Amino acid sequence: MNTTPTPFKSALARCGRFLLFLLRGVLPWYVASHLLLTSGWLAKAASHLGGFMDIWGLPPEAAAAVAAGMGANLYAAAAVAAALGLSWKQLTVMGVMLGVAHSLPVEHAVLVELVGKARAAALTTTRIVVGAIAGWAVSICLG
Amino acid sequence: MGGEHLSWIEWLGAQSLVALGKGLVLCAEIAAVVLPLMILYEVIEARGILKGSWKGAERWLKPLGLGPRAIIPLMAGVWLGLLYGAGIVVATSEREGLDKRQRLSIALMLAMCHAIVEDTAIFAVLGASVIGILLPRVALAVMVGVMLGWWWARTAPGRGS
Repeated sequence: MNTTPTPFKSALARCGRFLLFLLRGVLPWYVASHLLLTSGWLAKAASHLGGFMDIWGLPPEAAAAVAAGMGANLYAAAAVAAALGLSWKQLTVMGVMLGVAHSLPVEHAVLVELVGKARAAALTTTRIVVGAIAGWAVSICLG
Repeated sequence: MGGEHLSWIEWLGAQSLVALGKGLVLCAEIAAVVLPLMILYEVIEARGILKGSWKGAERWLKPLGLGPRAIIPLMAGVWLGLLYGAGIVVATSEREGLDKRQRLSIALMLAMCHAIVEDTAIFAVLGASVIGILLPRVALAVMVGVMLGWWWARTAPGRGS
């Protein structure tokens, strides 16, 4: 009797593992992000960052968009940013910053799966630092 | 006081349920996109259709410290993103037997630059510059990839793919 799994069976096994990863790795972080966003804690944290936004040529209110992008997702960030009436330069700076560092809790779960907990933590920290530096560099370039 | 406490718990319970519902919808959406791709990839791979297809990619991937088989997880992440590409990125990395170094290189490059179409479009719609967002992200990913590739080559000379 041939015990070698068929490609379809092996694909199904991988799919099962992926579903499990979604439920165990992604879902809890999504719930946490949602609660942070709706509770106003994210906005509260962002209010402390308002003073630093000048570094990237952004108004203090943009901190809420940055926090929403990093803590939740880019759609949340865009929704906040849309209401701020930012210039194309400011939006580009924010796009670069958040392009590198967004959906951090949920995407951290993917990185854990790929490289392990310790390295994933280092990578997520790197994303925040590099995102901030890249945003600053772009703001300088765009004047 | 007690009422306030109760309402806070009620809020948490209600919002957790909402988040759980939305999260399950998101997981279903991701699964609907990713699972067919995973099955398709597995079947194509088993039939040997991809055999030798990545030969041309070898010279582009070598400076990044990556072997030709790393192209699939890398491209999946770049186009689909970390979350939607996760199934393919993680499964193909395992399937292709990519070592820890290659996985770290892929993870670092994807951390800098992933879901380039979707992420860029979100801000482009608001009025941001497409080139202004894309160029720094791609440049960053290539830069960190080349740096890591150089470092891997230095610390483990003669390492193959």
